[in-house]
This record gives sequence, C-alpha cells and structure tokens, in this order.
Amino acid sequence: MAQLIHDLKNANPSASISVKLVSETGVGTVAAGVAKAKSDHIVIAGHDGGTGASPLSSIKHAGTPWEIGLAETQQTLVLNQLRGRVILQVDGQMKTGRDVVVGALLGADEFGFATAPLVVEGCIMMRKCHLNTCPVGIATQDPELRKRFNGQPEHVVNFFFFIAEEIREIMASLGMKKFNDLIGRSDLLDMQQGIDHWKIQGLDFSRIFYQPDMGPDVSRYNVEKQYHGLDKALDNEIIKKAMPSIEKKESTTFDIPITNTNRTVGTMLSHEIAKRYGNDGLPDNTISVKLEGTAGQSFGAFLAKGITFNLHGEGNDYVGKGLCGGHIIIRPPQHFKGIEEKNIIVGNTVMYGATSGESYFRGIAGERFCVRNSGASAVVEGVGNHGCEYMTGGTVAVLGETGQNFAAGMSGGVAYIYDPEGTFSQSCNPSMVTLEKVAKENVQPKGAKHLNLSDETILKQLIVNHHKYTDSSIAIDILNNWDTAIGNFVKVMPIEYKRALNELHAATIKEVA
Amino acid sequence: MGKVTGFMDFPRVAAENVPPAERVKNYKEFVLHLSDEEAKTQGARCMDCGIPFCNNGCPVNNIIPDWNDLVFQQNWKQAIEVLHSTNNFPEFTGRICPAPCEAACTLNINDDPVGIKSIEHAIIDKAWENNWVIPQPPKNKTGKKIAIVGSGPAGMAAAQQLARVGHDVVVLEKNDRIGGLLRYGIPDFKMEKSHIDRRVTQMEAEGVVFKTNQNVGENVDPEQLIHDYDSVILAGGAEWPRDLPVPGRELDGVHFAMDFLPNQNKIVAGDVIKDQITATGKNVVVIGGGDTGSDCVGTSNRHGAASVYQFELMPQPPEKEIKSLVWPYWPLKMRTSSSHEEGCERDWSVATKSFIGENGKVKELVAARVEWKDGKMQEVPNSEFTMKADLVLLAMGFISPQQTILDKFGIDKDARGNAKAETEGENSYTTSRSKVFAAGDMRRGQSLVVWAIREGRQCARSVDEFLMGSSSLPR
Repeated sequence: MAQLIHDLKNANPSASISVKLVSETGVGTVAAGVAKAKSDHIVIAGHDGGTGASPLSSIKHAGTPWEIGLAETQQTLVLNQLRGRVILQVDGQMKTGRDVVVGALLGADEFGFATAPLVVEGCIMMRKCHLNTCPVGIATQDPELRKRFNGQPEHVVNFFFFIAEEIREIMASLGMKKFNDLIGRSDLLDMQQGIDHWKIQGLDFSRIFYQPDMGPDVSRYNVEKQYHGLDKALDNEIIKKAMPSIEKKESTTFDIPITNTNRTVGTMLSHEIAKRYGNDGLPDNTISVKLEGTAGQSFGAFLAKGITFNLHGEGNDYVGKGLCGGHIIIRPPQHFKGIEEKNIIVGNTVMYGATSGESYFRGIAGERFCVRNSGASAVVEGVGNHGCEYMTGGTVAVLGETGQNFAAGMSGGVAYIYDPEGTFSQSCNPSMVTLEKVAKENVQPKGAKHLNLSDETILKQLIVNHHKYTDSSIAIDILNNWDTAIGNFVKVMPIEYKRALNELHAATIKEVA
Repeated sequence: MGKVTGFMDFPRVAAENVPPAERVKNYKEFVLHLSDEEAKTQGARCMDCGIPFCNNGCPVNNIIPDWNDLVFQQNWKQAIEVLHSTNNFPEFTGRICPAPCEAACTLNINDDPVGIKSIEHAIIDKAWENNWVIPQPPKNKTGKKIAIVGSGPAGMAAAQQLARVGHDVVVLEKNDRIGGLLRYGIPDFKMEKSHIDRRVTQMEAEGVVFKTNQNVGENVDPEQLIHDYDSVILAGGAEWPRDLPVPGRELDGVHFAMDFLPNQNKIVAGDVIKDQITATGKNVVVIGGGDTGSDCVGTSNRHGAASVYQFELMPQPPEKEIKSLVWPYWPLKMRTSSSHEEGCERDWSVATKSFIGENGKVKELVAARVEWKDGKMQEVPNSEFTMKADLVLLAMGFISPQQTILDKFGIDKDARGNAKAETEGENSYTTSRSKVFAAGDMRRGQSLVVWAIREGRQCARSVDEFLMGSSSLPR
C-alpha cells in the first residue's frame, strides 16, 4: 500500500492520493495503516451507495452503514494521533444537510455526494450505466440519447445551496460558527427519543458516540499534509539533467548510479513529460539514461515514451509497472560472474498493467510477470508462477522456463515460449488459451494476425533487439539456429483474442469486397 | 427488456383501428390486436428499468416487464400465465382499461410509453385462440358457501378466486345477464359481450353458480342471504347517477346515460326492446365529458344522430401534461377518445341552466359559460346561449352505490355513501356487519374496471382468511 501510494504520488506530485475503504468492522485499523502509508485522503464508503453499473450483490451485501465505519475510523485515527494528517471523507447515499452534519460530528472533513446530484440532473436510476442505453442521456456517449439529457448545472448548484442552507441552520442551532468546530464532536449526537418500537430496545450507540480521551494537542480534523519524501527522490536529479529534452525535445544521454533506496525512479520524470506532451510523450530514446546498481521498487513505473532506462545491475519488484511507452533494459553488472540466464534479474509483478513500451531482461523474472499487460512487449529468459495472468494485449517472449499457471485468464495479446524440452504445456493454464506452433512466415496461414505481422517477424525482431541491448547468449544461440529454434517455440493464443481477430479480419474482407 | 436498445430502435405502434367511417356502421369492436411481429418489437421497447413503475401504476400490479420480455421472446404461453397470475380478466382490461400503467412507464418520462395495453390485448387474444384459457377447478372443496351480490368485474374476480380455492360461490345478478356494467354499461363496440360469456363458461366449470334476476333487497332477502351463506360479498357497483335538477329536467328526451346505453347492448344481444331511446336523426347533447359521455357519443353516432354535442363543466385540459410534475401518476390532459374521432363537437366550461320543451318533449337547452376561480365556479355574465336538443343524455358520473341495498344490509357507510370497509389490515374489506364484505365500486365509489378486479381479488383473500383462518390467495 505504501509503495502504491508512493508510486501514484510520483506519477502526479500535485495530486492528493485517496484510498477508499468499505465501511465495516475493523475499518479503523485499516485506515490507520493507510494513514501511515501516507495516503493524503481516506474515504469511508457506506453500504447504501453503489453506481448503476455495480453488481447487485455489491449493492446489497457489501459494507455497513457509513456512520459505523466513520465513527470507528475517527476514533482509531485520533487515538493513534494520525487524524490530523489525513483528510477523511465519507460517502454512501449522502442526501441532506443533516447527513453532512452527522458525518462531521462523527469525524468527516469531506462528504461525497453522487446519486442525489445525478437525480437532480435527471437520473432515474435505471441501473443501466454500463450498457450505453441511459434513457435520460447521462451515462452514455450516444448522441441520440444525449439529446434527452435536460439537466442543467444550475439544478445541481441549487441542490447544494439547499444542502448548505440546511447545514447552516443545523450549525446555528448547535451554536457553531465554523465547520471545523463540528468535526469529531460526537458528544453533540444523541439517539432520538420517543420512538416506540421493539427493535429499538437492542440499540446502543454509546460506542459510536465515544470520543477517545486525548489531549487538546491531538487534532480531531485535518490540519497538516503528509510528508511523501519526494524532495529526496533520485528523479529530481534526473529531471535536472534531462531538462533540455523535457523542454526542447533535445536528446540527452547521461549516467547515474542507483541503489535500492531509490524507489519509483523515472516516474516523476514521466510526469514532467506527460504534463507537457500528454500520452504521446517524446520520440523514442530522447532521454537515454544509463544506470548502475540495484534499483529499488517500482523502477521505471509509468515510464513515458521517449525515455530509455538501461540498467546494469538488477531490478526489484514492480519494474516497469504501468509502463506507458518507455523502454527498460536490465542486464547484470559487468563484473557478474554467474550464468545470466540461470539467475533472477528482476523481482515480482514486473510490467504489471503496462500499456505500451518495451522491456528486455537478461535473466529470469519473478512471479506474476506481465500481469494485466495490455500493450507492451517484453523479452525475458524465464518467469515464475502466474506469468501473463489477465493479460489483455501486448507481446511477451520467454526464452526459458515458466512457472505454473501461465496465461490464467489471459484474454488478449500473445506470448511466445521457448520450449525445447516440450514441458511448457504442463505449466500453462489452458482455460482461456490455446497453444500453437510458431509457423515460418512463408507457411503461416493467411488471415488475421497479431499486430498485423507474421509471428516469425514479431518474434525474431524481439530476439534481435534482446541480443542487441543485452548481449544475451541465449538470444544469439537461437538466432544462429533460427530455422530449428523456431520449431521449439510455443505460441500462447487466447481464444477470445483469436475470435476477435478473425471477426475483424472477416469484417475487413467484407468491406473491401 | 430482451433487447436493451429496443426503445431506441422501435417507435411506439398502437394496435390498428378500423377507420371511423367504417366502424360506425355496426357495433363490433374496431381495435385490432397487434401482429406477432409488432407485439415482439413493442415488447422490446420495454427497458428493464431498475424500478418498473408500471408494476405499481397498474392497480392489479401486473408484472408487466416480465410479460413484455416473454412476448419479445414469443413465449406466449408463459406470458399468459404471468398475466393471469395478477389479472383474472385481461381480455376486459386489454380493451377498456385507460392504462395507468402506461402513464407510469419509465419510458413515458421523455418518450412514448411502451404499448402495454396493446401487448396485454395481444397476449390474451392469443391465449383464447390457442385454448390456453381453461377452467381451473379446485382439487378439494371446503364446503363453505359464499354469496356475491353483483356480477360486475369485482364480483366476478372475487368469485373466480374463491371458487378456485374450493368454496361454493353463488353470484347474484339483478339483471337478466351476467357482467354488470361490463354487460350493460360499456357498449359492444368497445368490448363485445362474448368475452364475458366465455369467462362465465370457464367460471361455471370452476364451480361458480350464476343466478340472474336476483335483485337483493327486492326479490332476495338480505337477512336470508346472511343466514344461508358463510359470507356475503357486496359488489353491486356505484349506480346512483348524478342528476341535473334544472328547470325542464322532467321533459321527455332528457335521460340518464344508463337509461340509454343498456338498451342498445340488449338489442345487440338480440333482445327486442319496446320504446328504446334512440338518437336517430336527433340533435343529441351529452352532458358530461367522461368515459360514459364518450360511450353515449359513440352510440348516438351509430344510431345515426343528426348532430352530437358534448359539454363539460370543467375547463379544457392542456394538450400535454408537465411530465416532471405528474409522472408516474395519471395526468390530467386533453384526451380524444375513439368515440370523439367518430364525430362530435366538444365544448368545455359549459353549465346547463335549463331545458325548454314543447308538448312535454325537450327541444332546446339553455347553457352558460363558466369560469373557475380559486376552485369556485362563476358564471360568465351574458354568456347564455341556447341550442337545439332533441335528446339530452346526462353522463355526469355516479354519486355512490344505490343506498337502499346498503341500508337493507344495515351496514355503515363512509362520508360519500359507499359501503365502509378498509382495504388494508386484518379486517380488510369487511363491513361493519360480520360475515359481510364489500368490494369494487360499492366500496370505493365509481372507478375503473381494473380497480374493481383488484378489489375483487383482495376481498377474496380476506374472505378466504375469514373462513379458513389462512389463505393461499394473492393480495
């Protein structure tokens, strides 16, 4: 969690990082952990909410009332002197000024309204948000349906005026001048008297209304900001050196040492590029950084297009997480004496959720390699368990052994496995993929192709690059014996992806005809 | 529902009608039902909206989205099962219900509502065609005897429900044929009476005994009924018409609608009526702008009236309602009935002041324009006018049930003169007298057929609970 928050903070240092927690028993402990993990903002979500697209089971059976979770969170955070560091938000069917005041008294700084303002704009709660058929033109991009939208910003403004007015009235009745004075004052809450119902006999709110006995120096609402330590990041130096590229698109090349305390390297640099050039980034290799040493976690996370990281040393977990266009090359240090392809070069969950870009690893990767990859290509000389799980796009070449459960839930993209021993089929999870031979270009059947290229072209190019960047001995062996080696490759083809490609191909043929 | 984009792909299509010029030549029904393909696309317009308001807009809580979907899948057999599970007589409601469900349809917020009524019509017609409507006699008899006073939709619905759980049900009808207002109030061109006859045949096979010419309070003794039966349901309707006590009311040619309409139905049924009130060649003025008025207009046109006017006391309603204010409720708006299409002059904010006659027969009508201010009616000065009128039909609604029958049973009445009974709670539909229940218009005052069916069904459950201690009948 701390690493994830740190990654996100690096990806956009000016953004608040928010963690949304389901209101339930024990949420206070979780929230304390999240506050320690340096989240700027914590949301306690009550059980009443849920968008029209969320499954009924979640709407009906997840969480407890927000009051319970919020009270517990406030008490735990105050007790642990963490409350002042975070902004606490509550949501889940907030509809009235009274909800806001009760939320504040139980400890919230902020309040999430969603359903009510949507209804103000004309939402009729059809629960069809995910089908693009919203009949009042809210949750849809269909121009015909959007014509039916007749909400106006003024309606929402007016709604919130009413909310604010009600809050003001309640505050006045409580004798409160400032909203902050309200936060955490659960002593001002009481059970409504005079309700005569048998169910009320078992209700005891004293633990919800409890206020931890802490001194006046312990804040009960948000007063300070989290310290994320970004001023100490290696990226500050990299950004400085890469300034000509960032500002003038000039190419820069430089060397920099790295150690494992440098977490999330390259992410703030990518932020600077994305801020200026968006997802397009810079031309490939505009910023070329040679690094030496052992990288910390999340090396090259969200690395933008135009950046090449060439690391002599080793990676840690989360290398190339969310890679979006950058290139990452990792090879062992020059003084390394072992056999490269028999040794681990990067940790677990490498290339997690990558969307584009390339990576070459001269050695074996840990578990969950390329999970949720949706478009990047990667070459590696062996992977642990669960490789390419939930992958939806991109290309992966594994020039060595794989662990168990390879390609579980894989619905897109292609993986090529070098399998001279013929054992790969035992470690692959076949529920969503088929295994095929890699055909030579001249014999590959006509039809839809991954990336519109033949398998041979794609694979050979990847291995040629791998050799070029990493001096891989396996790569050169394969290339030298290409005609036999290609027969030892297994192509992992998702069934759904194949169907989609064929349909696409059939449609193109039809269009041409 | 079957097709998520159905409401975007298909426009609303109503069932086709025979053109007015053709249909006024006879008394046959003129609404044709949808073809299978039309019904399918109309069913596809249902959106599977998260909260189907139609379901509660409908007084019998028809499970509308479900049978819309079944029709879309062309699963007609199951569609009629679902439809019959909440509605005993869809062939009545599919023809003459004003369809409050369609006003409540979620699609009606910013589009044309799903054609629920025409789908219902198609389902039940298909079911009769295929002999899917068969008697459901009870497996076991309870030996309990129930008398139902009145054979309108409330009485029939209660009778069918109670017979199906094994009670011996006798329905007493004061007229010579079964059906109440369905039979003698609603003209044949809106609903042919064969629909009632085949229901009666079905219900007789289920064990219901129908007795006609049984005017409770006149030739049948209420006390005897209470003595002879385990319970009695009063479902005699609200038949006391509102009168117009102005000078000239006694003239010949000024009649209540309910003196005019039943005779025509009897003639269509093959009876010979002496002194039938006819509109042939006459200048007809119908006073009252509601459904009964409409029926008078349609019948007068079929008689071949020289001219037909219809007056309404209230101002002309707007062409379109403000949806955001009234949806999902029944909107007050300008409605043109099928009878109006057949030829009729309508006028609003008109109060009739007197009738002028010659030799005891009405010749002219004197009326004036009125204004409504702060809910009070005021005559517009110098707005009086007269017009030719050889036949004046009073269709100004019904005040309450005939009081004599309620008095003879000796039950309490509510402020409006209806039989007093609650609809909710343990003693729902029970009157102030033990064993005596009330349902339909006799309890709620003049209303729709579909409300009568609802009350009949719910009352049946109450009676069943009263007799057996518990009930498996739906509410």
